[in-house]
Amino acid sequence: MAYNYSNINDYDVLVIGGGIAGIEAALNLAYQGYKVILVEKDLSIGGKMIHLSKVFPTLDCAACITTPKVSETARHPNIKIYTYSEIKDIEKLGERYFTATLVQKPRYVTDACTGCQLCEEKCPVVVEDEYQWGLVGRKAAYIPFSIANPRIAAIDIENCTFCGLCEKVCAAGAIDFTQEEKRSTIVVKSIIIATGFNLFQSERLSYYGAGKFKNLLTSMQMERQLVPTRPYNNVLRPKDGKVPDRIAYVLCVGSRDKSLGNPICSQVCCMYSIKQAQLLMGALPMADVTIYYIDIRAFGKGFDEFYKQGVGMGVNFVKGKIANISEKENGDLILRYEDIDSGVLKEATHDLVVLSVGILTNPDFEKLFKTTPLLKDDYGYVRQVSELLSPSKTSIDGVFVAGTASGPMDIPDSILSAGAASTEASVYMKGGAS
Amino acid sequence: MGKTVDIIKEKRVVSQEVKDKIKSFNKIKKEILKCLEAGQKTIPQISAELNLPAETVTYNLMTLLKYNQIAVGEIDDMDEYYYYNLKQ
Repeated sequence: MAYNYSNINDYDVLVIGGGIAGIEAALNLAYQGYKVILVEKDLSIGGKMIHLSKVFPTLDCAACITTPKVSETARHPNIKIYTYSEIKDIEKLGERYFTATLVQKPRYVTDACTGCQLCEEKCPVVVEDEYQWGLVGRKAAYIPFSIANPRIAAIDIENCTFCGLCEKVCAAGAIDFTQEEKRSTIVVKSIIIATGFNLFQSERLSYYGAGKFKNLLTSMQMERQLVPTRPYNNVLRPKDGKVPDRIAYVLCVGSRDKSLGNPICSQVCCMYSIKQAQLLMGALPMADVTIYYIDIRAFGKGFDEFYKQGVGMGVNFVKGKIANISEKENGDLILRYEDIDSGVLKEATHDLVVLSVGILTNPDFEKLFKTTPLLKDDYGYVRQVSELLSPSKTSIDGVFVAGTASGPMDIPDSILSAGAASTEASVYMKGGAS
Repeated sequence: MGKTVDIIKEKRVVSQEVKDKIKSFNKIKKEILKCLEAGQKTIPQISAELNLPAETVTYNLMTLLKYNQIAVGEIDDMDEYYYYNLKQ
C-alpha cells in the first residue's frame, strides 16, 4: 500500500526521551545514516544524569561525560531535537510506518536567545527551582540550569506577572509572548521508547516525616548539594544552614516494599548512597556518615570494591530497618530502628538524614499510543517480550525500548540497552526480523 | 519585535498566588539585605533578628546568593555556620 507523505515531516526513527539512553540511541542511529527525531518533554536534553555529581564506582564527573554527548547529539546533522515537546497519538500506518503527533509547547523565547541571562537577572518573580529540587529559588524567566542544552531561556508562564522587563532588556529580541502550542504530524519507520524513570515520592511515607522535616533530604537533593553548581555554598542543612556533622542514609526507601507497590530492587541506591557518602567525607572531612541498610547489593563490576573503599574511608554501615523518624527542636533528627543483627530497637540522632529513594516506572509511555497500547510488565515498565533473546523488543513491531523505561538499571546498563535498541531498530528498518 | 507582552496581557491574568509569592519574596529579600547592612551574619542570627523561621531565611538567602546579591564570608569559630554579607 502506498502513502503520500509529501506534506508532512519525514524521519526514519522517533526517539522519545532525551536522557542518556535516548541520546545514545539517537547518536547510534544517526551515525548509521538514519534521520532521527528526538523528542524531550523537558527544556533540555540530558535527562537525570546531567544533574548528577559523579558516577559510581569510578567517581568520574557525570556532567563531564554527559555534556559532550549532549553537544554531539545537538550538533549531529541527522538528528533533529525538539525540547519542551511531547508525542501523542502514535498509530501504526500499514506494515512498516508509524504516524505520531508532535506537540511543541511554547517557551516564549526564540532560538535567537544568546543565553546571556539578562532576562533572568531582571525578572522579579522567584519560585522553587525544580532543577535544584526545591532547595533554592529560580526566576520565572530562566535558563533551566547552567549546562542546559539548548542554552535558551524559557518563561514560566504560570508564574509570570507579564511585567515585560525580560522583553525590555533582551538585546537579541528573543522574548516572544505570542508563541503558541504547535502541533504537527510526523511519519517514522521505527520508534525507540526512552522515557526513563520516576523517583519514589518520599512524602508517601508519613512515618519518615518527608516533606515535613527540613533536614530530611532525598538522595537527589543531596546529589545537587555535591555538584559544583550546587544550590548552597557548601553542604548545608536546609533548615538553618548548619554544616552537618552526623549524616545518615536510609536505604531502600520506596524499593523492595510490596506494600508500596514496588517489590523490586532499584539496583542503584546502595551504590549511589556509598558514592555520596564518599563524596561527603571529601567535602566535610570531620563528618560522620552512617548508612542504614537491609543488605548491600554490590553486584556490578567494581561495586564490592567500591563498597569496601567506603568502609575503609570510615563510612559506618548499620544493618538496620528504620521504623520512624522524629525531629528535635534544633532540627536534628532521631532515627528509631531495629538493629537487625542484634534484634534490639535502638535510636540514633543525626544532623541530616538522606532518604535513598528508589526508582519507579515513568508511566508516560502508556499515553503515547492511540489505538494499540504498548504493553507493560508486572512492575509497570515497558514489557520486554523477549527479555533474554531480544531485550529491546516490545509488544509492538518496530517499537523498541531503551534504558530505564524497561526497568531499573544503572548508567552503563542504560547505555548498553540503548545500543541494543538502536541496533534492533536499524535491523528492523532494513527489513530484518523485528 | 514590538512589545509582545502586551498581547499576552490581554489573554491571561496573573493569579493572586503569584502576586502573593512576589510580595513575600520581595519583603523577605528587603529585610535580609537591610539586616546585612550592619555587617555579616549567620543564618540563625538573621533568623533571630528578623523573627523569621531559619528555613525561610536559608531558602531566600541562598536564592539571593545564586543571583549574586550576597557573598559568603568565613565560617564561625565552631565550624558550624557560615557568615553572609552584602555583595560589594
